[in-house]
Amino acid sequence: MSKFETFAALHVPGDPVILYNIWDVGSALAVVKAGAKALATGSHPMGDASGFGDAHQVPLDYVFANAARIVAAVDPLPLTVDFEGAYSTDPEEGGHNVASLKQSGAVGCNFEDQLVGGDGIHPLELQVLRIEAIRRAVGDDFFINARTDLLIKTADHGDALIGEVVDRGKAFADAGASGFFVPRLADPRQIERVVREVPLPLNVIAFPGAPPKADWAAAGVARISHGPFPHRALMAQLEEAARVALN
Amino acid sequence: MANELFQRFAALHVPGDPVALFNIWDVGSALAVAKAGAKAIATGSASVAMANGFGDGENLPMDFALANARRIAGSVELPVTVDFEGAYSNDPAQVALNFAQLAETGVVGCNFEDQVVGGEGLYPITLQAERIAAARRAVGPDFFINVRTDLFLKAPQETHDEAMLDEAIERVRAYAEAGASGFFVPMLGDLGMLSRLCAESPVPVNFMTYPGCPSNAEVAATGVARISHGPFPHMALMGQLEEAARKAFA
Repeated sequence: MSKFETFAALHVPGDPVILYNIWDVGSALAVVKAGAKALATGSHPMGDASGFGDAHQVPLDYVFANAARIVAAVDPLPLTVDFEGAYSTDPEEGGHNVASLKQSGAVGCNFEDQLVGGDGIHPLELQVLRIEAIRRAVGDDFFINARTDLLIKTADHGDALIGEVVDRGKAFADAGASGFFVPRLADPRQIERVVREVPLPLNVIAFPGAPPKADWAAAGVARISHGPFPHRALMAQLEEAARVALN
Repeated sequence: MANELFQRFAALHVPGDPVALFNIWDVGSALAVAKAGAKAIATGSASVAMANGFGDGENLPMDFALANARRIAGSVELPVTVDFEGAYSNDPAQVALNFAQLAETGVVGCNFEDQVVGGEGLYPITLQAERIAAARRAVGPDFFINVRTDLFLKAPQETHDEAMLDEAIERVRAYAEAGASGFFVPMLGDLGMLSRLCAESPVPVNFMTYPGCPSNAEVAATGVARISHGPFPHMALMGQLEEAARKAFA
């Protein structure tokens, strides 16, 4: 099996792959030692660790070089990169950028529908064009984890909003997405509905105080990632260790 | 600003009341240590290398080290010192050029080793003194050149003896003459020898903690002016990350 196939096969509804998000080679190696089956960067941790900041502030060259270093260090495990909005609202340019990311050796990426650095989310028609362009640019063997930021951008997480989430998920699937990523989706009943109606493996983010992973697994989740929380928790531990050493 | 930061940093080196440096590797770790109340920020070359997948021993490309230093210096309002290994050259003229580039990033000092990086043993005293003098000419007076001797690092601790200490003292005298601001003796852990070194060194002495080393209070009592932590903060933290990930996977 290729790295991509290995990674895609880890997405089993009901038996989710756990991704503990990393940001550099050192963190990747620590997570590998803990028994990771795959590695996933988080854009926020990478922005915080490097000091460039989130929201397309980490230069593309740095993203690619960092990805290539992680890929080399964790071989043969697969790496997926949090690529935010692919650094362009233009579909063709976004496709080009994801193709460059694939060159670094990553087997997949997250791709957001929010306007990075702006307000709101892209109209569904445009987001579909962007995903189609990425799929054309990368070919079949790349895991496009299409993310909707509807829950991040909306206060009321009622059933009407979940209906909109489902519409997006279906359209993303038709456009060539490999997975569907819905940050802040946490309610098992809502998760069940999305799993039932969207024909893609579902990814949700674990957060402090989240329901037990078993509940999410039972609802049909195929991938659980951890977003910015591992880096945030670790930096608090570093602060604590430094406080002890400095006193 | 750089001048003021340098003055602040230099003034932190008080024999008997050492400044503690908890070594970091990137902007995120620098900010965490700053929040903990650090008075100054110091990178560790091994930590930067491990975090980014390069081996230590100048396998970390200089351009990467410089860009990382610039980002860190830009992110904190504290003085920053960089572990610059052997300044990426044997040649004093090239050492000077590399120091000038480092000073330009906004950091106020660096460590500078006397071992031949990628080679065997230490530089002869005269050549190392020339390298220090060239570095000093390149950066001017407002830069803390913390010259490190690897005499003790390269020899098992049970072999550390007064003869070795004599050589260290000979080296620090020559280094100070050449323009060193401080003297760094990683893996020297004998309190008696540290006391004699601190008494005879013309510049502040830097002790590095390691697992099982004497306490900060014992080290301070010898007259040490700076205590750093080398690669250990990064190694310990990566252990904590592994532990957290193991729980998440369970």
